[in-house]
Amino acid sequence: MTSLVTARGVSKHFGEVRAVDDVSFEIEQGKILGLIGPNGAGKTTLLKAVLGLTDCDGELSVLGLDPFRQRKELLRNICFIADVAVLPRWIRVTQLLDFVEAVHPNFSRKHAEGFLRQTKVRSDAKVRELSKGMVTQLHLSIIMSIDAKLLVLDEPTLGLDIIFRKEFYGNLLNDYFDEKRTILITTHQVEEIENLLTDIMFINDGRILLDKPMESLAESYVELLTSGENAIKAKGLGPIAEHEMFGKSVLLFEGVSRENLEGLGEMRTPSVADLFVAKVKGTRK
Amino acid sequence: MIGNQLALIEREIWEHRSIYVTPLAIASIVTLSVLAMLVFASGFAKELDMAIFGASNIAGEGERRAALTAFFVGTSWLFLVALAILTVFYCLDSLYGERKDKSILFWRSMPITDAETVLSKLVTAVVVIPVVAVLGIIATHIVNLVITSIWVSMKGGDAGLLIWGSVPFFDNWVAAFIVVLASGIWMSPFIGWFLFVSAWTKRAPLLMAFMPLVLIPLLEWIFLRTRFFATAVFDRGDDMPLFRTLDFETFFEEEHWHSGIDNISLLGHLDVVQFLTSPSMWGGLLVCGLFVTAAIYVRRYRDESQ
Repeated sequence: MTSLVTARGVSKHFGEVRAVDDVSFEIEQGKILGLIGPNGAGKTTLLKAVLGLTDCDGELSVLGLDPFRQRKELLRNICFIADVAVLPRWIRVTQLLDFVEAVHPNFSRKHAEGFLRQTKVRSDAKVRELSKGMVTQLHLSIIMSIDAKLLVLDEPTLGLDIIFRKEFYGNLLNDYFDEKRTILITTHQVEEIENLLTDIMFINDGRILLDKPMESLAESYVELLTSGENAIKAKGLGPIAEHEMFGKSVLLFEGVSRENLEGLGEMRTPSVADLFVAKVKGTRK
Repeated sequence: MIGNQLALIEREIWEHRSIYVTPLAIASIVTLSVLAMLVFASGFAKELDMAIFGASNIAGEGERRAALTAFFVGTSWLFLVALAILTVFYCLDSLYGERKDKSILFWRSMPITDAETVLSKLVTAVVVIPVVAVLGIIATHIVNLVITSIWVSMKGGDAGLLIWGSVPFFDNWVAAFIVVLASGIWMSPFIGWFLFVSAWTKRAPLLMAFMPLVLIPLLEWIFLRTRFFATAVFDRGDDMPLFRTLDFETFFEEEHWHSGIDNISLLGHLDVVQFLTSPSMWGGLLVCGLFVTAAIYVRRYRDESQ
């Protein structure tokens, strides 16, 4: 596996605030990594460092380049959607395609026009005349037509309705993703993307709380639904989080094997959202 | 690099339609005024000279040239004033608007450096806007000469001789080109300053750009009793080395006009060598360069999300 992004002790301070604090990780080719964190956790700052939009301390290499100092070279092979509202409102769809075609060596206008034909976006329309969902479709059509090694999506579906959101991720998986491409994605709507992720990373207060392949979550984490005597026994095994639901205890274990929990209640793999809440709360204790 | 610049400049023209709408508007105003004047003149005597922009006693070749040149200078002056206002607003919006609507994040997702982007805005202000303005001046000139020729012909005059034979096209157009382009270069420190303010300010770019231009001379006068800054800023427009041999006091006097064909050459009044060797011009370019560098630095290093 080739490592596309390598971070060693990456930090970014804004005065006293440590937006990203001594973070180390790797992203390998062919992965879809979800970067999950609460507001102000440092997600966007970390993404900006990866995209070369902000300088940082430590060692950060993206596609073998220093992202801040070699940004132009980097951006030939890396694409990003930062937020739904960033396409200039005054521009026409054809002008946008003209522009990207002129400045981006890896852009295929034919592909973009193909994607756009599947939408209601008219080529002579101005961005300001399009609905929020259509603007995102336009942006995604352009991004998916760039032959890039790494695609970074920062809250790409913010403010979109459920139909557009489903379609967005559907297009991304069916029309774009393959083993040569890598996607790094942040979102609040973690439930919607957890099925498409191959890897997951939690970040809070600028630090990484978890960085694992999705398939390993079932081995490392167990959620136990239990009550009465069993609940007391189970709590003795040191759950990392617990809450009550319909009179039952829901306990979340990390690194406790399923055999040890056998017979104590109903076991299941926790959802990413529950795991995330448990991890973040755990650090706040 | 060049391909990117062309795409970036094209994008500036798409976004700032005033770059070509303003010259079109001025051209329309001038043309309507000329039409109104011709209609107005028709109400009076049939003297042909009324057609040639109201100049009286236009008998000789020299006078006709002078009258036609005066019309050209007047039109060009209108364009120059509009060009100045347009450039100020263009520069102040060029790096501020993209931050306000957050499209900067899209532009910065393309493989283009901040230096390339800021330079495209400088080139638009110093070269593209002036060149479009000169094209506007030339187009207005031709359209109005055609209109006037039709009018002269309808009155029984020989438009070929009176108008087309008497207009010093080369002299007028080249002079306009030099003056308009040199004006942009001469005022480049202001263009640099406006670009920097546009990249740097968080709000009210117009206010932020002009406030220091008023406050600094005021403070200098209050505390130091000197006027160096005020002179450097406010007198720059009157002090262009290109025009040192041109005396506006006598230029429009009648003797000057009657003194012969040679004297009404616009090019004859321009001293390009003096302009190009002027330390003030080069100093201005240096100041412009410093401000533009600062604008690139701000666009590159400031994190918009914080």
